[in-house]
Amino acid sequence: MFDKALSYGIVWGFSVCETVDESQRWILSVMQKHGQELVTMLWRILGNDQDVCDAYQSTFLHLAHCQSGQKPRHVKAYIFRTASNVAVSMLRRRLVERKGLSAAIAGGSSGKAVPSVDAVQDVFPSPANEFDSKHLQDILRCYIARLPEHLRDVITLHDLAELPYAQVGRILGISAATARVYRCKAIQLLSVWMSKERQE
Amino acid sequence: MTTTSTNTYKETSFASVAQSPGSNKCRQIRARLHGLVSSSLRLDAGWAQRHIANCPRCQSRIVGVGKVELALSLVKSRRHHLDLLMRANMQAVGVLKHSLREAPKAEKLKSTLPEPKLSEQLSKYKHSTANVAACLAILFLMKIGIFCSMEQLQTRGQEVLKQYYAGHVGQDLADEIFSA
Repeated sequence: MFDKALSYGIVWGFSVCETVDESQRWILSVMQKHGQELVTMLWRILGNDQDVCDAYQSTFLHLAHCQSGQKPRHVKAYIFRTASNVAVSMLRRRLVERKGLSAAIAGGSSGKAVPSVDAVQDVFPSPANEFDSKHLQDILRCYIARLPEHLRDVITLHDLAELPYAQVGRILGISAATARVYRCKAIQLLSVWMSKERQE
Repeated sequence: MTTTSTNTYKETSFASVAQSPGSNKCRQIRARLHGLVSSSLRLDAGWAQRHIANCPRCQSRIVGVGKVELALSLVKSRRHHLDLLMRANMQAVGVLKHSLREAPKAEKLKSTLPEPKLSEQLSKYKHSTANVAACLAILFLMKIGIFCSMEQLQTRGQEVLKQYYAGHVGQDLADEIFSA
């Protein structure tokens, strides 16, 4: 648990955790109000219980230390964007780790290490995996992490957090129509990447 | 001929919107344009289907988009453990200041379980509400229909009687009887 937290750099710059002022009781209210939606979104991005808890904790740590402990004007926008960014960073880190492992296996330099099922699937993608649910979800997560930020934000907020376009627009500071266009572009990009992956 | 008349109608309706006063003119035009585009540019339209059937590039595009949508649905359909919110809250509250950790709200958060949204809770009543609304609408229409029919029956009956009296006792007397 501690190793994992260290590997993801959860504690980052917050060397002293207990620096939250007592006047920050609003954080608990925010947690109560948006916690469920946030956990659902993080679960859909990460797909792992412990990662969700780490990303959630990190989001509220950021919130507690934002603007010297002052409540941000748009709390919901702040926590959703922070949570999304934290989760995507974790996802990228996980992918890099997995890629490193796959490369080690492919190069035969891993010695006696036992490869994980996912790593094997990454190295030897088979047609049987094509419509395998878990494989498809992993591939999608991998490509979502690769999307440009403006497109990724719309996909995570609209498709994974299930927020309506109007709300997504308000959170990202764009119009609902722009959010629709970004979502369309993101889907096109994902479909191209996923098709390429299938051909490879 | 039909197409011409439809186009004329569309032009007229756009012109009426463009000329109408008000600040939401643009919004109305946008809504109309969106309606027109979505009604004319449907993927299941015959011309689109005919093209897709013979175009490998479009087929691969549609397959790709379908695959992304399928993957998104799979991600959304996978449920997390029921206690995940509780554990996440516990971990997040654990790094806050002691006074916040000990607050009653924090204790409550540590044992919070996910609850369905109000819309989800009410969704089970959706069908029965729709059925009741449909029954009420039918009853209302039946009531209107019955009253209309009775009124028609009364009018027709009066006319027949008036004609009868006019034939037997004269028009003047019949008018006098039925005008009273």
